[in-house]
Order: sequence, then C-alpha cells, then structure tokens
Amino acid sequence: MAAASQAVSAPPSAAAPAPNPGKRKTRAKGKGNKNKAKKKLARSGQDDSIHRRRNKPSAKFLKLLRKRARDYNSDDDEEDDDRQQEHQPNPRRRRRDEEEEEEEEEDEALSHSDQEEEDEEEEGVSTSATTRFEQGCRAFRVAFLKIMAKKLPDDPLGPILSAHKKLVATKLAEELEEHKPKGEARKEKRMAAEKGHVIPEDHLDSKEKELIKVATKGVVRLFNAVSKAQKPRKDLNPSRTKDAKVLAKERKNTFLAELEMPSHQDKKSQAPSNFSKRTGKDEDEPAWAPLRDTYMLGSKLKDWDKMKDSAAASGQAEVPLGDSSDEE
Amino acid sequence: MRQPRSGPGKRRGRGPRIPATTLRKQQAALANVDQITGAKIPKSFVFSRGKLPSTLRHLQQDLRKVMLPYTALNLKEKKRNNLKDFVNVAGPLGVTHFLILSNPKSLPHLRFSNSPQGPTFTFQIEEYALAADIANSQKRPRCPPGIFKNSPLVVLSGFSGLGNPFESLVEYFQHMVPAVDPSTVKLAECQRILLLKYDKEKEVVDFRHYSIKLQPVGVSRRIRKLMQNNQVPDLRDLKDVSDYVTKAGYGSESEVDDEAATVSLPSDVDKLNRASRKSAVRLQEIGPRMTMRLVKVEAGLCSGDVLYPWPVAKESVGEKGKVTEEEIEGQEETEDELEDGSEDEMEE
Repeated sequence: MAAASQAVSAPPSAAAPAPNPGKRKTRAKGKGNKNKAKKKLARSGQDDSIHRRRNKPSAKFLKLLRKRARDYNSDDDEEDDDRQQEHQPNPRRRRRDEEEEEEEEEDEALSHSDQEEEDEEEEGVSTSATTRFEQGCRAFRVAFLKIMAKKLPDDPLGPILSAHKKLVATKLAEELEEHKPKGEARKEKRMAAEKGHVIPEDHLDSKEKELIKVATKGVVRLFNAVSKAQKPRKDLNPSRTKDAKVLAKERKNTFLAELEMPSHQDKKSQAPSNFSKRTGKDEDEPAWAPLRDTYMLGSKLKDWDKMKDSAAASGQAEVPLGDSSDEE
Repeated sequence: MRQPRSGPGKRRGRGPRIPATTLRKQQAALANVDQITGAKIPKSFVFSRGKLPSTLRHLQQDLRKVMLPYTALNLKEKKRNNLKDFVNVAGPLGVTHFLILSNPKSLPHLRFSNSPQGPTFTFQIEEYALAADIANSQKRPRCPPGIFKNSPLVVLSGFSGLGNPFESLVEYFQHMVPAVDPSTVKLAECQRILLLKYDKEKEVVDFRHYSIKLQPVGVSRRIRKLMQNNQVPDLRDLKDVSDYVTKAGYGSESEVDDEAATVSLPSDVDKLNRASRKSAVRLQEIGPRMTMRLVKVEAGLCSGDVLYPWPVAKESVGEKGKVTEEEIEGQEETEDELEDGSEDEMEE
C-alpha cells in the first residue's frame, strides 16, 4: 500500500538512479563500507529485530509511516526530496540485489516487507523519490511479466488486451452473422437466375444422338424431295456425256414445246420456279425478271444454246428454258 | 428504341447517301413477300418482358440468331415499352411472329405468338444451354460464315396424332420460317436446321439447332481438305505425287457413312459436293438447346381465352388452381400493357 502510494507521488527526479550497471558497481564499493558501519550500529539489536517489529513498531518506524502519509497527501514538498537524495543510492542498490535473487516470482507483499526492513535499518532515512519511481517501474515490470507469462486460450480472436474484450467479441460475432445471410441470399439469387441453365457435357449422350438422327432423317427427306423436284430425269446422269446429250435434246424439245404453248398461266407458274436458279448464277442482278437490265431485250436469247450446254454439264436443266420462255 | 419524331422520310434526306445496291438489298430484306414464290415472309421479333438474368439475355440473343435473317438482331427494348408498342411497330414492318422471353417467379418462360391477334403458346423452359455452352462443349465448333444468311429449315417430329393444341402448334412452327418450295430451293442455302421434337413420355418439346454439312461420299479426307483449303499440300515426305492420293490418311474415318444419311444432290452445292456425286449429311449442333413444356395456349396475343390446359370442372381442385394462377399471370400482363399506352417506336 505504501509502495503504491509512493509510486504515485514520486517526482521524476532525474539525478537519481544511474541505469548504467558498470558504473553502479564501482559506486557500490565505496558506499558498501558506509553501509556496513550503519549495519554494525543496528546489529546490537539485530537478533530480536523481527520480534520487535512484530510486537511493537519502533518510534522511528512510526515516524516514517507518518511522513509517508504526509508525502502521500502533499504534492509539493520537493525540497524535502531533494534533501533526501544524498542517501538515495544505497537502499536502492541493496534492493536491486535482493530482487536478483528473488527473480520474477516475488510479489508485491514481499517487496513491501523488504522495504519495511530497509527503512528500519536506515533509521529514519525515508525512501527517496527515485526509489518510488523505481518501484513504479518494478510494479509495471511485474505486471508486464504477469501478462506475458499468461497462457493464452485458443481464442479465434487472438490476444486482446482491451477491456472491451467481450464487446469486441460480440461485435465480431454479429458481423459474421450479418455476413452469412447476405452471402446466402446472393447465392440463392444466383441459383434462381441460373435456374434451368444446364451446361452440356462434352460428349453426345444417347438422347442427343437420337435427336441428331431424327434431324438428319428430316434433312435427307427434304433433300431427296428437292432433288426429285429439281432433277428432270433420275436415271440419267448429267455428268456422263451420253446422258447429257439425251438430256440436252430433251430440254430442247421441251423448250420448243414451251414456245409453242399459248397458255399464259402455265408460263406464270413456271416462271417463279426458275428465278431461283438464275439468282444462283448471278447474285447481283435482281431476282425478279422485270427488274433486270436485259428484261424484254432478248439479249439472252442470242446465246441460249450455249447456256444450255453449260447448264447440262452442271445439271441445272431448266435454267435456259425458263429464262427464254419468260422473255418471249 | 426511340426514334425522333421527324419521321423516316426527313431523316433519309439528311443522312449519308446510301449506295443504290445497298439500298436495294435493304429494301429486299424489308420486303414482306418472297420474290420467287410470292409467299409472305414471316418475320419475327425476339424480345423479353420484365427483367431477365444475364444467362437468359444471352439465350434471347441466341434465339434471335436462330430466327435470322428475318428478325431484328439488335432489337432494343426499354423497361417502359409494353406489348402494345411492339404490336404497333410490327404492323408496318411486317413482323408476324413474336418470341417473348420472361422470367416470372424465376422460372424462364418462352411465348410464341402471332403478332396482331394470337394465338400465344406459352412454354416453360425446363432446361436450356446457350450456344456458347454448346460451342464450349465441342472440340471443333463449326460456324461457317454466312450460315445465318438464310433461314433455318424446321423439322418437326413426334407431334402427329396429339390433338388440337399441338396441331395448331405444328402449324405455328411451320409458318415461323419461310416455307421451303422443293422445286425452287437451293440446297446451298439450307445450312441450318431447327429441330422440334415432342417427347411423348415427358411431355416436353426438345428444341435443337444444328448446322448442316455436306460431305462427298467416298472421297478421302486428304482430297477433301485439298479441295477445301485451296493450298498446296505438304509433299515433303512423299516419294511420288500419287502417294498423296493413295496413301490412307488417318486410319479412322470416325463417322461411318451410313446409307440413311446420304443424298444425291440435284445441283452443285459447292466445289466438293457436285450434282453427280452422293453426299453425306452431317449435323453439328450450334445451339441454343432448350427443353420446353407447353404450359398454356391463349387465343389472343398474351391474352384472351385459354385454350389449353382445358378449363376443368370443380372436381379436380389442384388442376383448377393451376389454371387460375396462370390466368392471374395473364391478367397481370394485360394490366401491364394498359399501364402506359404511349406510342413508342422501335428500331430494328
């Protein structure tokens, strides 16, 4: 109690303790003699000193206590402290030695008793400001070591020295709880947005294969229908010259027959069917015959037989026929 | 989506001069009638109602690609555009078909409808995969240039003998793309196929999109590649030129040519597939892929009488609840339409 009070009231007098250990040693030698002499004086009643202390405190000790109390109450008695500084290094040194022996496990109560002993021995020489300062340092050291020696529990938050440890923990927990539903909601939203979206596998399964088969069948059927509709003679191969000749002859006959045919409607029905093939030949011209530059001019008619040959080779049977019939 | 009020005529006068050929092509694309057959060309809008997650927006873009060329690939819609706006624009542009994606209650739905007055077929998309997913899953994704220049062929399968909602559905799908006239169609233009197959067991429609590839039968891979690449082949290791032809390439011609998939072509399709030769038909998926369940058929455009599922008597409570729920959904949509009737215009 007393030590604590001293620590509080101690003025930070700079001159006091030399922190240099080497220097301290030399000084200790000189003052050690002085100390001894003092001890000799005290030694006369040393045997029953403990007894005495226990039963009735000496007048000096009482005086000291009183002075301490005064020190504690008064803030501005630095002159006294200055005066007392002459005696200061001696007790300080001794205490230091004791401490080294005691190591860290010494507690405050013990140090208290030490202090009392010293005070007793020093006969009225009260503890100086530096000592009090030192004691404050010591208290801090003890407290610090205590903290450092503490075994930390496996806390996910880590070591928190704050007094608001609990508050911090609750806050963090709240945040976590808040964060969790947010993430879940986002996940749910994404799931909802992706609903029905199936990323296909890299191989075709049986269902897809079957679908492709169905589609292929449909395409083949259509192509066959087209070839049936667009091919005049199936048994004749237009790439063979013999057949090509036959086809050309046939086409010529049909063409001539077409020319003689007076029916207007028949022409009309045939005309559109031929435009498509024409557009295949030259894309840039308009498909509709009246829009073409050569419409009604008969320029195509001039070399109609030439065209027929080329068409025969490629198998487009009705191209020239249709054109000329339309232009007539 | 919003156009200045000045009108298209005024704008054309001020804008940059468009070359005559381009203009002609644009007009041809705008034409509502096929110049060859004289049939009306069906055109489509693919758009969405409500907010869509990103994957569904990708699906929407994929569907637009499927519906090319007679669709608006870059159709922009705003939150405030309602169905009425689309209908108003569809008339002058000759758009007849709407494909509407929506995501009510986080269940993706696709509605096929005819533009002015229905019917509307509502499908719930149970599973889907984007074109990108399909391409990622393939070793060699195939997408030749110009594949989207012509409309796809539509192949329907498994719809026969199912009764009314499906009969009208078949009719709808058949008229979704320009009709193919066998006597006039060019095979080189048939590059894609849209397969819609009805699975009777699961009662779902499988939606698949494939590219068509023709390969000459009986021609070795090397020759095929030589013809395709137009490059001088690497002959370093060969002693004679003939080795290049006679030497077998990779031993495994992985796909065995089966008779069912071969066709004899009426005309030349390209350098390799000549009229005289037989060619094998190969399909490769280009996506998107969807599995859809028919949920509802309405007589009008997203409104009107519910034709399917059949209005049921009071005994079957569960079914009835389902129907009413759908009706409520439909009502919400009609309300949505009525909310703002401002005349917004759309750009294609």
